Amino acid sequence: MSLTSLVPLIGIADVVIGLSLGSRLFLIAVGLSLIFGVLGVLNFAHGGFYMLGAYFTLAVVSNVVDNFWIAVVVGALAVGVVGAAIEFSAIRRLYDRVDSDLDQLIVTFGFVLVIHETVRFVWGSGSYSIDPPDVFNFSVALGGSTFNAYRLVVIGLAVGVLVALWLFITRTYFGSLVRGTSSDREMAAMLGVDVPRLYTGVFFLGSVLAGLGGALSAPLQSTSPALGDQVIIDAFIVVVIGGLGSMSGAFVGAMLIGMMQSLGPQFISAGSIAIPFLAMVIVLLIRPEGLFGGIGE
Amino acid sequence: MYVIDPHIYVGSDTHGRLLTMVTEDSDTGNKYKQADAAETSSGSRSPVGRRRFLQAAGAGAAVGLAGCSGGGGGDGGPVTLGAAYILSGFASLYGEEAERGIDFAVSEINDNGGIDGRDVEVIVRDTEASGDTAIQQIRSLVQEDNVDGLFGLDSSGVAQAVAPQISQLQMPFMITHAATPFVTSPQGEHEDSVGNEYVFRDSNSLAQDIYGAARVAENLDATEWATIGPDYAFGYETWDYFQAYCDGLGVEAEFTAEQFPALETSDYTPFISSILDADPDAVLTPLWGADLTTFIGQAESAGWFDQIDHTLFSVGMGTDYPSDGSPLPEGEYASTRYDPFVPDTEANNSFREAYYEEYESLPTYNAEGAYRALYLYKEAIESAGSTEPDALVDEFTGMEHSGPVGDYQFSETNQATVASIWGTVTYDEEWESNVLDPVNRYEAGPDVLSEALGDSDLPAGI
Amino acid sequence: MSATDTGGRVSRFGSAVAEGWTRERFGLLGAVALVLVAFAPPFQVYLFTDFLVVALFALGFNLLYGYTGLLSFGHGLFYAGGAYGIAIVLRDLGPVIADVVGAGISPLVTFVLGGVVGLVLVVLVAVPVGWLSVRLEEIYFALITLAFGMLGYSLIIQDPAGLTNGTDGVIVLLGTVDLGGFSLRIGGRRIYYAISAVTVVAAVYGVWRVVNSPFGTVCKAIRESPDRAAALGIDVGHHRWMTFIVSAAVVGIAGVLRAGLASVASPGLTHWSTSAIAVIATVIGGATYFYGPIVGAFIFLYIRWAISRFPALEAYWELFFGALLIAVVLFFKQGAVGGLLLLRDRLFGDGGGGGGGALDDGQASTAADDGAESGDDNVRADRGDNS
Repeated sequence: MSLTSLVPLIGIADVVIGLSLGSRLFLIAVGLSLIFGVLGVLNFAHGGFYMLGAYFTLAVVSNVVDNFWIAVVVGALAVGVVGAAIEFSAIRRLYDRVDSDLDQLIVTFGFVLVIHETVRFVWGSGSYSIDPPDVFNFSVALGGSTFNAYRLVVIGLAVGVLVALWLFITRTYFGSLVRGTSSDREMAAMLGVDVPRLYTGVFFLGSVLAGLGGALSAPLQSTSPALGDQVIIDAFIVVVIGGLGSMSGAFVGAMLIGMMQSLGPQFISAGSIAIPFLAMVIVLLIRPEGLFGGIGE
Repeated sequence: MYVIDPHIYVGSDTHGRLLTMVTEDSDTGNKYKQADAAETSSGSRSPVGRRRFLQAAGAGAAVGLAGCSGGGGGDGGPVTLGAAYILSGFASLYGEEAERGIDFAVSEINDNGGIDGRDVEVIVRDTEASGDTAIQQIRSLVQEDNVDGLFGLDSSGVAQAVAPQISQLQMPFMITHAATPFVTSPQGEHEDSVGNEYVFRDSNSLAQDIYGAARVAENLDATEWATIGPDYAFGYETWDYFQAYCDGLGVEAEFTAEQFPALETSDYTPFISSILDADPDAVLTPLWGADLTTFIGQAESAGWFDQIDHTLFSVGMGTDYPSDGSPLPEGEYASTRYDPFVPDTEANNSFREAYYEEYESLPTYNAEGAYRALYLYKEAIESAGSTEPDALVDEFTGMEHSGPVGDYQFSETNQATVASIWGTVTYDEEWESNVLDPVNRYEAGPDVLSEALGDSDLPAGI
Repeated sequence: MSATDTGGRVSRFGSAVAEGWTRERFGLLGAVALVLVAFAPPFQVYLFTDFLVVALFALGFNLLYGYTGLLSFGHGLFYAGGAYGIAIVLRDLGPVIADVVGAGISPLVTFVLGGVVGLVLVVLVAVPVGWLSVRLEEIYFALITLAFGMLGYSLIIQDPAGLTNGTDGVIVLLGTVDLGGFSLRIGGRRIYYAISAVTVVAAVYGVWRVVNSPFGTVCKAIRESPDRAAALGIDVGHHRWMTFIVSAAVVGIAGVLRAGLASVASPGLTHWSTSAIAVIATVIGGATYFYGPIVGAFIFLYIRWAISRFPALEAYWELFFGALLIAVVLFFKQGAVGGLLLLRDRLFGDGGGGGGGALDDGQASTAADDGAESGDDNVRADRGDNS
């Protein structure tokens, strides 16, 4: 068998595809990172939130209003409500425990199962797909290969979210509360910050971001109940490499993993899907705070 | 001990189907499960679901009257068969199609005197496309539900894990879809061979199917070939056999790219892009189930069908008829294990017509394979005059049979000598569905396959 | 009147338990039960074997979680290690061994050798993986073990060494021992159950000895307060590392048994979702009790089986365990064993403190001891944090 013509050819399309994969990973990872940075909760159910974003969007498009963008917004906000409800009803009870980190992880893992099965119950175990919005649904041919123009939209929105988040955290009053609370919760509480409400707010925001990632990705992937479990592990890799709590880290980590997912198939070699996990191990051992700093950076 | 499957439509989309099965417990003959059945079917908007519920409720009453024969072993009690298919996940469509075939055969057989005067019932279990789960379900069917015979299986990987267990359970198993040649290749023939006297297959195998692919390749103006297949036995075996056949048949072909994404991949774009970069003339793809639907949609938007001259879908027609996602593109090549129009026999035509009337879609090969398995059991049980597993195995061994798929015989290795069927995907106005037209049947008996495999050490599995 | 009558009977039963139910009798009872299971219908034998294997898996996992406070989401790696070890030996060395010891006895020799190889393989993997992992704590430990597990998963799937047969896994055929007219199918339900029962009981006893050794006491001290333990001159890292290795080895034994039971060593065993089974069983059973994981595994498998008898619900059994997991962590961290002990205290409440001590010399003594101890410690710790 000859594989000689498998010489890697990195086309522009491969890069665009990689960046769009990175963008969806960024949207889920940045929410995960934000929640960890402020609340100290590693939300195992974040992949489930991403998946819910896709399902909600599909449900709105097919049942309520045939406008993709409205559906995306409704879908993402609905995921935020689900997230805030989970924080309010369950996770909140665990903040004061001595081994709260692990209890939170286990509880959010419980929600992984609950969300997965609920999705299967409501929407069945088949997979759904949807076309990108008509305006952007055309092929762009560049350098001999093609990609869908909608991918550029996703990349643009991800960059937009990064900038908006950065402005929000560094330039607004709410952002300063978030930063303050994440560095010293007791102090913030003493200064009159309503910490429980802030926590619910941040969990809402993080969930909205995951839902947005799922919603925007719906036209680029098939949506099935397996989606959440697949994406959460990638998101863990991203936040570890980028640094738990770091937004810019989440962006760089996501783009890195996205490019690897895009170019990986070009470099068939044994062990290539192991590389992200190896990277995760190495970063955890050498620089557990990630390659980039903390919250707001 | 029966199965109903009212399809409850959640929302407006047919994807949102819930498959609910109610199984009567053989030991207790419990009635509370019928209450469940009534509840679930009341949510059904499907006339099919309603009809099946009524039928099943009738069967349940019959079980109650018969005073629970404890597995249907006694005379007059029903013959109970156990089936294992994928009912959830990316390939649940296959399980649903098989269930249609089963329901169809069960009502036909029971309306016409049953098996030796006894009704037949089928308990269907979900393998979740996992060997582990399949083994547990099959063990439970044999040891908890005391079934008289087994059939089913949708995945080569699952079949390969299950086959050795079957010989330990000493219960005949009629595979109706899973295609790996190694389950009909006697243990020891090749290091992966797991065939044994209890395992049979009434549908065509990968070795037969891919022989047809090589015959198609022979006549195509394409030299550079690539594949994109699922990352397990089936994907790799397809590619291995294709290369062996091309070699054996003297097809001028180079094999330039191969991609094996994991099952249930939600985004094939990177793999598609990688194949497109290698720019082959033709691609053979054994992707299947929802994975195939996902792939076709994403391949289309990446310009695949403009760039690649020929795409051969080796499992294409399995989901094409009932799929409401992306259908196979016209003009490409696809194979099937059963064609609803060929052979043009009374058996095939009447099956197709009746099936279409019932379900408003053409019968897929998975429906036909499962349908035929019931008739195979009927013939074996009636001829043996008993449901003793070893007697049934004796009956199946070398049995000549005829069904919608045509006439065939079980080979020395328990593989049905059915043809390899390949054709061009064409939309048919009359049936409002894709069909294969023109379609070719390549006879794929033991001699043909071993010769075509040439020097390869791959077993023909027949 | 009838109330006092009942009360009297209960207290009589309570004192009978206190006086007569010695560890020996409990042990005897357990042994009789294990023997009786062997004569159950085949499927029940299978289910019980499955329970024993999962119980050992969870028990091994909890050695680390319950006794040193490290939550691993990657113990599937060792589960798979044991399974692949024996599967590869059976596949590749079976014929060689048959040449050496003769075909008749070779399936048994191969099986034993495969088990040993599986165990050694797991220890060889656990030594470096543990050494690296115990440098981290809490969430970071969970993440690094998750990464190691998934690293193993990726390598098994991609199979660079050509040993693991990728996604399909390695089929396990246990064969039949044949000695001049006497033949024994190792994979036969009851034979395999006997092998599993003996192995699991021995392994559980081994773990029990470790837990109740000075080493185990140190582990518990570390769990309660790593800093205080360190101040007392305990090498915390070393103890955690050793516990990690023992924990992995126990899980490896479970993996060896799993391979024969499932007839296949599949990559899914090292996926994080398999590692999560140990977490679910342990948390539901009660992580602070020695017997918690065993009770949890029992609940996990038998409820799952019970649900499977209602096909309408079958597809959604995970929902049940997800909800149960959340409820246990939120409202009753002592889990099922804690619940049983509480129930016992309620029933024999008149014994007061004596009720707690009633089983001290009974078979459940470790459970009661550890339970009472760690339960109290937990409460104390919580209060400490609140104050």
